[in-house]
Amino acid sequence: MLYYLIKRIAFGALVLLGASLITFCIAFVIPADPAVAIAGAKADPHTLATIRAQLGLDRPLYVQYVRYLGRALHGDLGRSYARRQSVSGLIVARFSATAVLAVCAMMLSLVLGTLGGLVAGAYRGRAPDNVLLTLSLTLVSIPVFWLGTMFLVGAAAYVRWLPLGGFDGARSLILPSFALALGSAGYYSRILQANLAEVVGQDYIRAARAKGLSPARVMLHHALANAILPLVTLAGLDFAGLLSGVVLTETVFNWPGLGRLAFEAVFNLDIPLIMGTVLFSSFLIVMANLVVDLLYAWLDPRTRLA
Amino acid sequence: MRMAPHGLLAGALASALALVCLGCRAHQPARLFPPDAAVLRLALADDVPTLDPAAGYDTASWEFEQVLFDTLLRYASDSNELRPDLALSWEVSPDARVFVFHMRADARFTNGRPVTSADLRYSIERVLNPKTRSQGVQYFLPLLGAADFAAGRAAHARGIETPDPYTIIFRLDKPDPIFLHKLAMPFAAAVPKEVVERWGDDFARHAVGSGPFMLKEWLSGQRLVLIKNPHYFIPGRPKLDAIVALIGVNEELQWLKFEAGEIDVSSIPPAEFTYVMKTPRLKTLTIHHVTATTNYLGMNCRMAPFSDVRVRQAFNYAVNKQKLVAILNGRGVVARGVLPPGMPGYDPDIGGYPYDPAKARRLLEQAGVRAGFAPVVWLTADPTMMILGQSIQQDLALVGVDLLLKPVAWGPLLDAVREPRAVQLFLLGWGADFPDPQNFLEVLFSKAQWGANNDTFYSDPKVEELLAQASVVAEPARRYALYQQIQQLIVGDAPWVFLYHPVAYVIRQPWVRGIRLHPLRPARLDHIYLAPSVAPRGTAPSAADITP
Repeated sequence: MLYYLIKRIAFGALVLLGASLITFCIAFVIPADPAVAIAGAKADPHTLATIRAQLGLDRPLYVQYVRYLGRALHGDLGRSYARRQSVSGLIVARFSATAVLAVCAMMLSLVLGTLGGLVAGAYRGRAPDNVLLTLSLTLVSIPVFWLGTMFLVGAAAYVRWLPLGGFDGARSLILPSFALALGSAGYYSRILQANLAEVVGQDYIRAARAKGLSPARVMLHHALANAILPLVTLAGLDFAGLLSGVVLTETVFNWPGLGRLAFEAVFNLDIPLIMGTVLFSSFLIVMANLVVDLLYAWLDPRTRLA
Repeated sequence: MRMAPHGLLAGALASALALVCLGCRAHQPARLFPPDAAVLRLALADDVPTLDPAAGYDTASWEFEQVLFDTLLRYASDSNELRPDLALSWEVSPDARVFVFHMRADARFTNGRPVTSADLRYSIERVLNPKTRSQGVQYFLPLLGAADFAAGRAAHARGIETPDPYTIIFRLDKPDPIFLHKLAMPFAAAVPKEVVERWGDDFARHAVGSGPFMLKEWLSGQRLVLIKNPHYFIPGRPKLDAIVALIGVNEELQWLKFEAGEIDVSSIPPAEFTYVMKTPRLKTLTIHHVTATTNYLGMNCRMAPFSDVRVRQAFNYAVNKQKLVAILNGRGVVARGVLPPGMPGYDPDIGGYPYDPAKARRLLEQAGVRAGFAPVVWLTADPTMMILGQSIQQDLALVGVDLLLKPVAWGPLLDAVREPRAVQLFLLGWGADFPDPQNFLEVLFSKAQWGANNDTFYSDPKVEELLAQASVVAEPARRYALYQQIQQLIVGDAPWVFLYHPVAYVIRQPWVRGIRLHPLRPARLDHIYLAPSVAPRGTAPSAADITP
């Protein structure tokens, strides 16, 4: 297990190195001069040259990359050109808002998805399954920005106690969490329903039924425990995606999170901030993969032998 | 100890709930303002880039910088007339090279220290210092010794003298009739040296000025809170206790919040504009003005066939500008020349190019441009610009030109148009920094600006000669007559298709009073007050928070 863990961590570090290199190259291929981004379109050549020298932009690209990497290892991701603030500070400030939204949306989608999957699995081929199938396909298909906008319009007209965007306390979590969770919940319920359909035909389920256990107990204690395993992988990766920031939801709901920060960085061609947010997101995804793999190994001992 | 998946799930849910509670606590707004506080509630689409007056060069930053800091002069709230701010009086030499200001002695920074001439000198030298990376450096380089100071060869710019704490003298190396306007820009605002040196690059986050408001809280991406400066030198001003600006609220959400009474002033999304103007209750709450901006279709005069003036004139006749204004729901005024209405030197009698596709076809035939000519127009990938581009595309199709649209991001567009032979056509706009025709005609059409702001690479010897003459003339009538002559030459040479001057609209709640839109600058928030009988009470930071 320890060897497995070390191997996975080393692989994760390699992925991060690759991500940083690719992002660095892309950032410098973009046809935009960081010195102009800082000093403005009307700056004279002397000012631009001074800024390039101050930032080390006149050095060879590989020197700049090595210096960036060295600083990044010490937690210094540079300063944002547009905001003139520390990139690490900006990411930390925005991450808590994204994390709270991600956790709420993930809990909601898991709870709703599991309930939907269980009901659909228990009534397979009958009316509730068909209704849930239609509902989940609809939810998966609706774009989140449209759903979010409809929620806001509805709240403005009928539910005046719900805040219209922003992050000011628990009430403001309700609309964005639902907007974000419903699509995933629909997807999870279909996955769970399909897994349950496969599991309920297994011998150990027949044995449980033969022992006289109630259908609810068979479904919850025996079928669900095995059918839910693939959801762990899915949810883990989705959660990492949520933690990296959900640009559309954060934009629609004026949520001060990482997604909006990354969007603004790209919009302003703010290279240090683009690199910082990408690197941080890559780190989260690598970590989520690692945690999911370890969790999977813990939940299903057979995978440890593989 | 092994746990069942259900136990694990329960544990995860409990931890997640705890995290959510902690996160929500961290993001709870500060305590509320007292119920009778006059709080102006705003919403901004994007975060404020900076509150450092040496750094900001955009509308969002200036909107707040102009109430946090003071300059020697400021504009009247709704006109381009200069008024004293930190200055009590001033004298200008006849040749516009020496400017003497006598300052008020009762202005104080919000840290309690008086504002002196040394602070103003420090602030302008800070802009000149390359380490500050200020975009305002160009405006103060004409000061004597500015270049030496910027290069580190002198401790001070010798063109700034401070004979006593409340007198400051500026000496320039050549006449500059618009130098007073430069001193009204936030770049020239007084900042306290000790605070700037304490915070360095983070000064914007701890901004200390002497203006009517002071910075209380700036949560990146969330909200900006300014509170009344109790030391402000004009008694009884400002009338607001605080300003709370929510950050990151897109235009559609702003509108929903405005309708719900959650914000006091809002922009109007294009989709709602017709509804607002057809609803008398809302229409009476709108405020508008023609901006000092000209939007245009630039033509590269160094690239064939646009090197032929007949082709450029043909494009001017071919584009239906009235249709563009109609597409904007009337939020524009057709442009007949370079200068926008209200700009000194604006010529209401200039003919321009009326819509005349037949004449356009004739001119194109004379220039040898055959049907099927397919130039590419570069424009920003913005829905409004795309619709305007499509309208121009339709107009040009009627004269046999198959215009292709190339939507790109703002940065690459700006880089591309500065290359001499990269872009044939482009859609851009120019907003004035000063109420002076030089800010359009010299900046956009002189050869010295090739590769910078003269993106059409237009050049004409007569125009160059007149620009050089006009730039040093201080006497307004003569100066503006020269610029009118220059504008006529440029309109005749048609390096642009002169499209329209945008009209800006905002909407306010019935209780918001004193809001006036300025032709050049963001509206001054310190002039706004709330009518006590109708103003809503409620949200925003506490009595304790208001106390500095």
